[in-house]
Amino acid sequence: MTDVTRGGLETNATHRRAALGILVALLGLSVLLVVFLPFRAHVSIATPALVFVVPVILGVVVGGIIPGAVGAVAGFLCYDIFFIPPYGTLTVQAPQNWLALVVYVIVVIVVAQVVANLQSAREEAQRRTRDAERLFELSQALIGDRPLPQLLSLIAVTVQHAFTPRWTALVLPSEGSAGGVGTPELSVAASAGEELTADDLASLTTSGGETRSLGLTGVEAPRRVAVALVASNRPVGMLVLQHVQFARHDRALLATFANQAALAVERGQLREQALRTQLLEEVDRWRGALMGAVSHDLRTPLAAVKTAVSSLRQSDTALGPDDRAELLELIELQSDRLARLVTNLLDMTRIESGALELRPTIIAFDEIVGEALASLGGLVPTGRVDVEAPGDLPLLHIDHVLIGQVVANLLENAARLSSPECTIRVSARQADTTFVEIAVVDDGPGIRSEDRERVFEMFSQNSGGGRAGLGLAIAKAFVEAHGGTIWIDPRVTLGARVVFTVPCEAGMAVHG
Amino acid sequence: MTKVLVVDDDPSLVKALRIGLTARGDEVVTAQSGTDAVSQVALINPDLVILDLGLPDLDGLEVCRRIREFSTVPIVVLSAYGDERRKVEALDGGADDFITKPFGMAELEARLRMALRHGAARGGGATEVSPTVQVGALTLDRVHHMATLHGAALPLTLREFELLSYLARYVGKVCTHHMILKDVWGPGYGAESNYVRVYAHRLRKKLGDDEGRMLRTVPGIGYQLVADHPAE
Repeated sequence: MTDVTRGGLETNATHRRAALGILVALLGLSVLLVVFLPFRAHVSIATPALVFVVPVILGVVVGGIIPGAVGAVAGFLCYDIFFIPPYGTLTVQAPQNWLALVVYVIVVIVVAQVVANLQSAREEAQRRTRDAERLFELSQALIGDRPLPQLLSLIAVTVQHAFTPRWTALVLPSEGSAGGVGTPELSVAASAGEELTADDLASLTTSGGETRSLGLTGVEAPRRVAVALVASNRPVGMLVLQHVQFARHDRALLATFANQAALAVERGQLREQALRTQLLEEVDRWRGALMGAVSHDLRTPLAAVKTAVSSLRQSDTALGPDDRAELLELIELQSDRLARLVTNLLDMTRIESGALELRPTIIAFDEIVGEALASLGGLVPTGRVDVEAPGDLPLLHIDHVLIGQVVANLLENAARLSSPECTIRVSARQADTTFVEIAVVDDGPGIRSEDRERVFEMFSQNSGGGRAGLGLAIAKAFVEAHGGTIWIDPRVTLGARVVFTVPCEAGMAVHG
Repeated sequence: MTKVLVVDDDPSLVKALRIGLTARGDEVVTAQSGTDAVSQVALINPDLVILDLGLPDLDGLEVCRRIREFSTVPIVVLSAYGDERRKVEALDGGADDFITKPFGMAELEARLRMALRHGAARGGGATEVSPTVQVGALTLDRVHHMATLHGAALPLTLREFELLSYLARYVGKVCTHHMILKDVWGPGYGAESNYVRVYAHRLRKKLGDDEGRMLRTVPGIGYQLVADHPAE
């Protein structure tokens, strides 16, 4: 550790190094004293003066100017007492010896001064390099396109690393109050270093528009430093450092840090805002699509009903009894269709609100198809549906209301999209020990390969707009609630084959 | 007996229309797709087409355009509520009138009757401009730019006469603001529907048609000159 100027830790280190320097200087002097003492009669009076410069300079190199001063005094005493006659006293007899002594003192002081200055200049340069490195590190860290929370904790960690306080906290106006009027509520968005105590947290957090001291001047929170993060003339947040030992230029460095961090935080916040706006737009678009799909689906049967009813009501037309019967049947079927659409809408609302609750029971496959057909009213004549299943098919372990709805939706789609003469086949087979695979096949126009995934999306519409937007999306939600999957069989090119899996009662087979 | 081609992809509506129109005495042919509709028009030459705008294969507007390439058969478009833009596009593309779902048979019949009569009045060719046009009690002499109502001359400005004779040429058809501006004012116009409103107002005053029975306003879409308006 060569830094002389950094806070308390550095002050301690400086003291330690000064002591070490004094030790080096005094030890060196003693060694030289012991070595040269026997020869003092034989060497010139100037030689020890030159030699005694060396330990003092060493002391300066190790510990700075204080060991230099101590060493100079000690060297002066040693030189005077042991090497300048009369020995053992501070008295100087010969005038040339005076000269030697004075030259020694001047040389020691000047050299020590120069060396000490060089030393501190070197340290200053090192410190600047380190600061530049730290700033570089920070800006490097802030450049990346990170999500806001990650960015905030990164700032706290970097500051903690650079200034080593007990802890660093990044305090931001809390969500929602950022743009509001009055005193924004503050909360700790990120921290680094030691865990913040409850008291620390309380001292950093405000609520309900109260004004609170952040403990910057309090007795209990000594050496707490806070820097406001300001970007575009707007306070973005605040960096709080607890128990930090600061030197002069550390404040400037922290301020530079804060500026960089403020810009990054502001950028992150703007980015988050942009994302949120984008999301809202997306939701709006979906809502529009939903309204379009729902109104189209509801209006289609209504149009048929109204046309049929108005025909029946017209007294001047020549409707035969067969025509009347046909129109009435049509009205009934379309009313059923409307009712089913409303059911689907309600189901959708249940799924959306997360109120979907499974009530699994044990039920046989043909029973569930029967339930589905019954729920369809006359929409799909029973004669059009062909049910196939192996005799050893296990019982299904499902919520029969939900899966009945799935089968009904698939049957309704199949009936609506295929020719009236076509038989709709509903088949089941055991897929594995825990799942049964159910397939509904029609000979309608089928589903194009690029639409196979899309048809299950909420309110998707086939190119023509004919397919109900809700039926398949609901089927998917219900099947997935059972842990199963639903897909369009890609191997079938004529008509459509919709397949889904539902759990079965393992080991329980239908007998007879 | 009128031969009506019903084009819609919803079998129930087609069925209801078939029964209703047959009972009225029409001969009904149906088509469930756009391509089918175009070939049926070519094949059986119907007197009238009822065309749904939302078809599974072709867009209704495209069907309209394709039929207009070879036939002047009156087309009444079925559209959904709130679909004003597509309605206007269909009318610009050659449809004669529109009706919004759901509709009653009485309303549909009225529209069909009007479209049929006017289709006949146009002589099956809106492109053929005869020198004089008769619309109910209104006579327009295109050569001398003279308009008479019940035999009395109407003092019309040139632009008023041109607007009236344009609507008379397409009698019974709903003319959109855009069509009127483009053809009466000139190719540089198209968005200035206020002009049309002002001139329509002046025309109504001069025709003594303050309630707009003869020069009918189709809200948000355009105007329609009606020959057999209830006042007569």
